[in-house]
Amino acid sequence: MNVLPLRPEVENESASGRKAAAAMIEIDHVSQTFQTSGRQSHLAISDISLTIEDGAFVSILGPSGCGKSTLLYIVGGFVNPTEGVAKVKGNAITGPGPDRGPVFQEFALFPWKNVLGNVMYGLRQQGVPRAEAEAQSRRLIEMVGLKGFENFYPKELSGGMKQRVAIARTLAYKPAVLLMDEPFGALDAHTRTRLQNDLLNIWERDRKTVLFVTHSVDEAVFLSDKVVVMTRAPGRIKEIVEIDLPRPRRRAELLLDPRYQKYVVEIEKLIDDTGIAELHP
Amino acid sequence: MIAVRAVMSKAAPLFAVAGLLAIWQIAALALNTDSFPSALDAIRAIPAILTDRGDLINILASLRRMAIGLSLAVLLAIPLGLMMGRSRAVASFFNPLLMVIYPVPKAALMPVIMLWLGVGDVSKTLVIFLGVSLPIIYHSFQGARAVEEKMLWSGAAMGMSATQRMLRIVLPSALPEILTGCRTGLVLALITMVTSEMIARQSGAGNILFNALDMAQYDTVFAMIIIIGAMGIILDAAFEKLRGSLVKWSEPRFDIPLSFS
Repeated sequence: MNVLPLRPEVENESASGRKAAAAMIEIDHVSQTFQTSGRQSHLAISDISLTIEDGAFVSILGPSGCGKSTLLYIVGGFVNPTEGVAKVKGNAITGPGPDRGPVFQEFALFPWKNVLGNVMYGLRQQGVPRAEAEAQSRRLIEMVGLKGFENFYPKELSGGMKQRVAIARTLAYKPAVLLMDEPFGALDAHTRTRLQNDLLNIWERDRKTVLFVTHSVDEAVFLSDKVVVMTRAPGRIKEIVEIDLPRPRRRAELLLDPRYQKYVVEIEKLIDDTGIAELHP
Repeated sequence: MIAVRAVMSKAAPLFAVAGLLAIWQIAALALNTDSFPSALDAIRAIPAILTDRGDLINILASLRRMAIGLSLAVLLAIPLGLMMGRSRAVASFFNPLLMVIYPVPKAALMPVIMLWLGVGDVSKTLVIFLGVSLPIIYHSFQGARAVEEKMLWSGAAMGMSATQRMLRIVLPSALPEILTGCRTGLVLALITMVTSEMIARQSGAGNILFNALDMAQYDTVFAMIIIIGAMGIILDAAFEKLRGSLVKWSEPRFDIPLSFS
């Protein structure tokens, strides 16, 4: 099997441009304007600056259309910002790369590959020998709770199972940063809760940096170290709330914890202040 | 009861064929003209054609041209359609050209092509190629356009280059749609094959048919129609088998199977 050299996904900057080693992602005065039909331009996000430390779980919370996904796509390198610069480990982001692994609300699994094939895909792409890629993938599939489903095709799986596969597929190639774009947004409440718990359990093992986009206040507070509350379009940062709750977090304990409740109320109030009515539950 | 139903639904196409033949037989007997032989007479004429060395060579020559024309079309139309589906520039360059070619019956180009390239294999193969290409381009284009952006992003994040994404994400993702185009192409290839032989009367299945017509051998005319039709059904069923095995991962497209497979 021909092993393709990995495309360098970032451009190196001079050493003087590097900030403290703790910063995993730096977003520096980033704005994004989209051309809509009829020569109109739409300012999706405006002048966003944000630093995300290595190993932090940071949620971006905001209403539909506030540009929170756009911000995640910029960090992913899928969209180039109109203004400003985003960096990962001090290097300007110029395109997608395996150091930043996305998980989308739409799952975006490869439907012609079975569960094992999907999870193995990134490893094979990076030249990991088949036997080793398969062994690693089987372990990951077990970790996300899908042992026994290795030979199932995506169309045979439920939404929650598909998202578990998508998470395993991204974790497989060991990105330094997980970019999660409303990953549980398309799931029913019960499945959503279970996946939140499982995600936290997985995350607590290796504490990857996570950028998590959501419109659920509960979800953001439950999962995150930091919640970035955004305003309605054009999206700006309204406030960054540090969530100082002990880990590992247990859902049953947390829901009864007054500190948790206080955070939820505080953030909901922040959102009300921005006049955002259509924030989903 | 379920077993009976299963047998019934399997046998339904056979009933349809038998019914059609029965109507033909009755109509032919009722009309009683030379130019409309009965179904039985036509079927009786089939073995004579299939055991005649010259006729068999003719039919095989037809199939060979069809296979070459179709293969060339598949090799060129799929990459073109996929590139059109993923690149606005490629699409806007080729779209006007294809729009001009689209409504022209490809067989109508036959006289001009014959003028340039003669009445031989090259002309007929070219007409088949032209007739088949457009539906394959169109379906490949649609298939490539429908590829989920997030799937390509996922591939890009794994470190796949643009070419790798084209070959390993766009192509497999569009495959069900591409094969639908190929299925249409296969039937069109058969139609164009017969039409081209009707115009350039030199060899082939179409030539047998029209020679028999000239000589008022109506049994043979209708026998050839049955043979050509059967070839179409067999090729289509074989292709459906292949298609089914290639894209079994995708959702079933039809509740009622559209072939005898």
